[in-house]
Amino acid sequence: MTKLFLLLIGICFTISGFAIFIGNIFYVPENWPQPVYDFSKNPLTYEKVELGRALFYDPLLSKGNSISCNSCHSQFTAFAHVDHALSHGIDNLIGTRNAPALMNLAWQKSFMWDGAINHLDMQPLAPIANEKEMASNIDSVVKKLQRTKLYPTLFLKAFGDSIITGEHTLKAISQFMLTLISNNSKYDSVMRKQATFTQQEKKGYKLFKINCSGCHLEPLFTNQQFENNGLYVDATLNDIGRMKITLAPNDSLKFKVPSLRNIEFSYPYMHDGRFKKLSDVLNHYTSGIYQSKTLSKKLETPILLSSNDKVDIISFLLTLTDRNFLFKTDYSFPKELLLKQ
Amino acid sequence: MTKFLKTKIRIGVFLLFLISIYSNTKAQKSNDISVSFYPVFNNSIINFNQSAFYKTEINDSIQFNLLRFYISGIQLLNDHKVVWEEESSFHLIDANENLLSFLIHPSINISYTQIKFNLGIDSITNVSGAMGGELDPTKGMYWTWQNGYINFKLEGKCNQCPTRNNEFEFHIGGYQFPYNSIQTISLMVEPLKNIDIDIDLKKLFESIDLLNTNNIVSPSKEAILFSNKIASVFSNREK
Ligand code: HEC
Ligand code: HEC
Repeated sequence: MTKLFLLLIGICFTISGFAIFIGNIFYVPENWPQPVYDFSKNPLTYEKVELGRALFYDPLLSKGNSISCNSCHSQFTAFAHVDHALSHGIDNLIGTRNAPALMNLAWQKSFMWDGAINHLDMQPLAPIANEKEMASNIDSVVKKLQRTKLYPTLFLKAFGDSIITGEHTLKAISQFMLTLISNNSKYDSVMRKQATFTQQEKKGYKLFKINCSGCHLEPLFTNQQFENNGLYVDATLNDIGRMKITLAPNDSLKFKVPSLRNIEFSYPYMHDGRFKKLSDVLNHYTSGIYQSKTLSKKLETPILLSSNDKVDIISFLLTLTDRNFLFKTDYSFPKELLLKQ
Repeated sequence: MTKFLKTKIRIGVFLLFLISIYSNTKAQKSNDISVSFYPVFNNSIINFNQSAFYKTEINDSIQFNLLRFYISGIQLLNDHKVVWEEESSFHLIDANENLLSFLIHPSINISYTQIKFNLGIDSITNVSGAMGGELDPTKGMYWTWQNGYINFKLEGKCNQCPTRNNEFEFHIGGYQFPYNSIQTISLMVEPLKNIDIDIDLKKLFESIDLLNTNNIVSPSKEAILFSNKIASVFSNREK
């Protein structure tokens, strides 16, 4: 009898897929695809998520302990860098790209505007090492963490080992970022039939599906492809996008299609933050398309929208705001941990 | 009572005997074979920490400051068939830290004539997220802004290089088609003997024009060409 019971427990564990659905820190929303992130290599636990959260908010990760991940990715802007077209970092050197919003990262196949990062775990290496951003390196970060009072205990709780490694540091930061799920906007409620769109939002949604869904695909609002959406090249930056990674000329000027969730708060827009307002973005799609060899086929025939249509689309885009996400205390500065130090 | 004690002792001895047989067979199930690398120039072993000078073919001085690379996927073969494979086979070789050899433990009862291994890290491992041990990103063999392991690092100086301080820097990597730079090397070996491998940097630099090729730090055509050349200068050490 006990044997049967144990067997049943075993089966349950296997079915639940390495126990990723613990409590409410991670879940797959209804009608969403399966996550891309391989949780079997880094199973979520509360302790690891909390450790990751502390690391995300801790300026210890930078040279001179001056900036943290949060400096460029703040919660109230859906973890984007508010009001800075090009992200600021150490000593106010200007980076070359706009910090994107961080959400639903478990579903994302590649990271950065050009897909330079192949796995979420490896993402923090980039800002930590970039001399315009956090100007440190993972080796010295690990040594610094080891010397603190706080972290060896947190790593012990999370990984059963107080010796801090690069692997554990990166996996913990991933764990926190994986919990950043945004699926509670008005749009989501409407899809779940718990709310209804206004007339204007409904019209906007229809126009959106005709003109924008080809790239900004539901429910994540991105098809995760690299596309050239017709931005003229800023000669001061000369950013060739995806081609920088693949070196293939037909990838020139292509950038990752960003999600549009929480778009109300993640301004300024585009990889270089060139547009401040959503109306600027819509004007770009109707009358600003720059013709080049790699321009997406989907934008070859011009998008025609009246000024009313544009207002309607914007009213729909505003239904993608998820206030629950922007103010969820689980995601905010971990006072209990970082202020005690 | 004494009889009982006697049986007890007998059983004890018998158990000990069993244990010793077991541990013996266990110890004998594999061999310890060392695999060692010898970076050489003109047949002398290069010292990477003392900035010694060596003479190139055209009589120019060359100096080496850093050599670090990954060996992975070690296999032993007999008659072109794989007879043994190392599990989670990743070794970081670091000349500056004098980490130039490691042990492999092939099973006792196989015969083999050939060793095969990769110079670098395979593409699956490259996209599998954070790893520990030899693959921990704190080892300085992982690119930051564009992900991927660096398979091979070689740095030094030569007056021929029209660069700052005449430095050359080769950080060779790349795992994505068409810039996959991992190389497979195979060498004949004698069974049960330690394996000693030369890396002849003189030969390498004979095939490189330092005037034009002195800095490769990202996946590219040049990186692939370079990795081909490195692979070709691994050879059995003369006994
Ligand atoms: C100085 C500002 C800055 C800091 C500090 C910073 N980032 Fe970023 N982050 C950026 C910018 C800019 C990008 C986009 C860069 C690009 O695409 O080339 C980015 C991109 C990302 C992405 C990819 C998002 C996507 O959708 O592709 C993730 C994830 C991320 N950062 C996490 C972090 C973490 C974790 C930290 C702390 C270890 C951090 N960032 C620190 C500016 C910053
Ligand atoms: C051909 C594919 C494609 C189509 C169609 C498309 N977009 Fe985009 N969109 C992109 C890409 C790619 C980017 C990022 C470009 C960059 O930054 O270089 C982007 C960026 C955006 C941004 C800025 C997002 C941010 O976080 O900065 C908004 C807003 C946006 N698009 C809205 C729309 C709307 C509204 C439509 C329909 C009228 C639309 N897009 C149609 C590909 C597309």
